[in-house]
Amino acid sequence: MRAPGSVLDMWRLHVAVLVVAVVAQLIDVREIPIGPAAILLLPLLYAFLLSVLINPHVVRAASKFIRKREVKAASPMIVIAIMPFIAKFGTTIGPSFEELIEAGPALLLQEIGNLATVAFAFPLAIWAFKLHREAIGATFSVAREPNLAIIVDRYGLKSPEGTGVMVVYVVGTLFGTLIFSVLASLMASLGIFTPEALAMACGVGSGSMLAACSGALSGMWPGMEDTVVALAGASNLLTYATGLYVSLFVALPVVEWLYKKARPGEASAARKES
Amino acid sequence: MSAEDTASGSTRIPREKIAVVPTLRDLALVSVLGWALQLLATDISALAAVGGMAGLYLICAGGIVLTRFAPFYLPSIAWISLLGIAATLPFTPWGSAVTALVADIDFLALSVPALAYAGLALTEREIDVVKKSGWKLLLIAVFVLASTYIGSAVVADIVLRITG
Repeated sequence: MRAPGSVLDMWRLHVAVLVVAVVAQLIDVREIPIGPAAILLLPLLYAFLLSVLINPHVVRAASKFIRKREVKAASPMIVIAIMPFIAKFGTTIGPSFEELIEAGPALLLQEIGNLATVAFAFPLAIWAFKLHREAIGATFSVAREPNLAIIVDRYGLKSPEGTGVMVVYVVGTLFGTLIFSVLASLMASLGIFTPEALAMACGVGSGSMLAACSGALSGMWPGMEDTVVALAGASNLLTYATGLYVSLFVALPVVEWLYKKARPGEASAARKES
Repeated sequence: MSAEDTASGSTRIPREKIAVVPTLRDLALVSVLGWALQLLATDISALAAVGGMAGLYLICAGGIVLTRFAPFYLPSIAWISLLGIAATLPFTPWGSAVTALVADIDFLALSVPALAYAGLALTEREIDVVKKSGWKLLLIAVFVLASTYIGSAVVADIVLRITG
């Protein structure tokens, strides 16, 4: 079986993507405000939804234009299409290299805190919710683009792991600002943590999560806005610089290992099937 | 075995050599798509967008070549991100030029084509998983975000208290 045929052979697929992407980009970013936070609607979400609607596996009638072979060819295109994004992402880290080195031990070490999802969310997914391999994709990281790309590269998006990471990614994108502003306010009102620590933790996710989180903290400590924003920003930069490697070389192998221990019979069965 | 088969395996995958030429060709196609979206998403000129996308293309192409020929394996995205960092380090002779070239390219618009392909790549299998355990995954997602935030705050707090 040859994977994607020649470019012209698959013109239907690429034309569909072009049309969907242009429509999505024209709708542009929309915000539905809820109190201090907002539900954020991004072009990438419309693009996903629109292309699901012209997927013949979802909407039968779509098979007139998009056939099974286009669906098949779309899969390897996902990794390739995410590459320019990852390249751009690298070029935003390079210029801040020196700042990152100067960031200090607290900022660096709090990156370890990102592994808390492996310690808490993974057992919950496995034992409370009885999830299978989708738990690996869902809980190994905070599911931002670099983490999504890791799962796509390793398992493909069309895999249980891919479904897991995709759902967390979409939830994070849609409700991330809401979740983070509520979280930050809650944690701040507990009175246990210093504002500096909570500010650093604001950087674990996306840019909009960062904004919502540091906004909520600035509301709690009005005099500390500058400190909060600076620490959150530095932490976010660090997360983007190190997050890909930590989740690739630490979190994912650990989760894979835990999964094998938790579900010993399953690994061999799955291998036989594929 | 094709890229398709490699991508759909659910256990540890035997490493396939990436097919350099077809990948570079598909990457060029995606870059043209990306260029069109940049014109919609940003105010940069068509020519500046060509320069920016060409810069990103070269970084990706370098990453693809490294994925294929480097003596040890790293996923292509890890190579590409490393090259992106190396290409823009401020103390290198080329750093500021590359940074200026790609600076105005919009982040979010770059991710749109990938999600469009993703929506088209879904089959019954994935839809079944979402139908069966979608609500569980939703709750897990909230838990993932919350535990990551709280975990980072706890570690930062402890380190700050120790180091003063």
